[in-house]
Amino acid sequence: MARLFAQLRFLVGALTLVLLLAVAVPAGAQQPSQVNPNASAVKEQQLLNALQGGSIGGRVSIPDQKSGMLIQPGGRDWRQFHEVTLRWIGAIAILGMLALLIVFYLTRGQVKLESGYSGRRIVRFNAFERAVHWMTAACFIILALSGLNITFGKSLLMPIIGEPAFAGWSQWAKYAHNYLSFPFSIGVFAIFLIWVAGNIPNKVDVEWAKRGGGILGRDHPPAYRFNAGQKMIYWIVVIGGTAVAVTGYLLMFPFYATDMQGMQLAQTVHAIIAVLFVAAMLAHIYIGTIGMEGAFDAMGEGTVDVNWAKEHHRLWLEQEMARTGPNESQRQPAATPAE
Amino acid sequence: MKSFVIGCAAAIAIAAIAGFVLNTVQKPTDQAYSTTGVRL
Repeated sequence: MARLFAQLRFLVGALTLVLLLAVAVPAGAQQPSQVNPNASAVKEQQLLNALQGGSIGGRVSIPDQKSGMLIQPGGRDWRQFHEVTLRWIGAIAILGMLALLIVFYLTRGQVKLESGYSGRRIVRFNAFERAVHWMTAACFIILALSGLNITFGKSLLMPIIGEPAFAGWSQWAKYAHNYLSFPFSIGVFAIFLIWVAGNIPNKVDVEWAKRGGGILGRDHPPAYRFNAGQKMIYWIVVIGGTAVAVTGYLLMFPFYATDMQGMQLAQTVHAIIAVLFVAAMLAHIYIGTIGMEGAFDAMGEGTVDVNWAKEHHRLWLEQEMARTGPNESQRQPAATPAE
Repeated sequence: MKSFVIGCAAAIAIAAIAGFVLNTVQKPTDQAYSTTGVRL
């Protein structure tokens, strides 16, 4: 009997051990997935989750607490804009304008001076006006090239000149972009002051626009000192120039007047207006040089032929003649500088 | 041409003055964003 109990105890004990093993082995096998011993893997998963739309930030010991924010949703949107959207906007605006001007030149050709040169000149812009124009224009060209380098340089220029040369060029381009912004801003402000009186829209502009400005057809609609097209360029320069200057200074002095979201918005506005500005200035450069015969003289040497003034700015010529007398305004030789 | 040269010279002069003023007023990054206890 005692032996029977001993065998039963052994049997129960063996069954209990088997049962325990049967339960314990699967539990042990599941252990690694339930309790992840790798702490870095846990953080990585949290980072991946946060990258789906949240912010990733931490604590820093330096005074600039903003640097504790590593990634934020607005930053991802801004990066997408800067790397993709802006390039499309810029390419379409600038290449589109260039294509338009080429097609226009090939179909319309240069706007000729139909009545020919009279040999008599009239002062169109004085020395101060031209110096302000060229100061602003020279700054604009460098600002445009150095700004486009930020958007397109990495894709277009770096593969050609190599990384070291691109880095050096970009550094100097950024210096030029920063420092030349000041004379550009002063130039835009001066342009606003010296030409605002002649650039207020009026009824003559409506008629000029209806008749295609004499550019689309062979017409010569009357205009005062500035026609509607020139007024449009003027206000693009004044408003667009002010906008890029203000947003540019927000970027140049980071976080003085705005936070991170404000910086991203400032860069977005700055970039969009800048590429549209470049496209508009291409049209301005075209019509001021190869697009119209005799137009460059106005800003080049300061005087224009009287016949040119008669065809393109008849009302202004009449005003000038009434003010100075016909002999006074017509007797200046072609070589007379407008100083 | 003369006005163009004057315009460019004015731009360079204003840019140089602006650069000098900026470099005088603004502190370098390692000074602006650090404390005495920070090692950079």
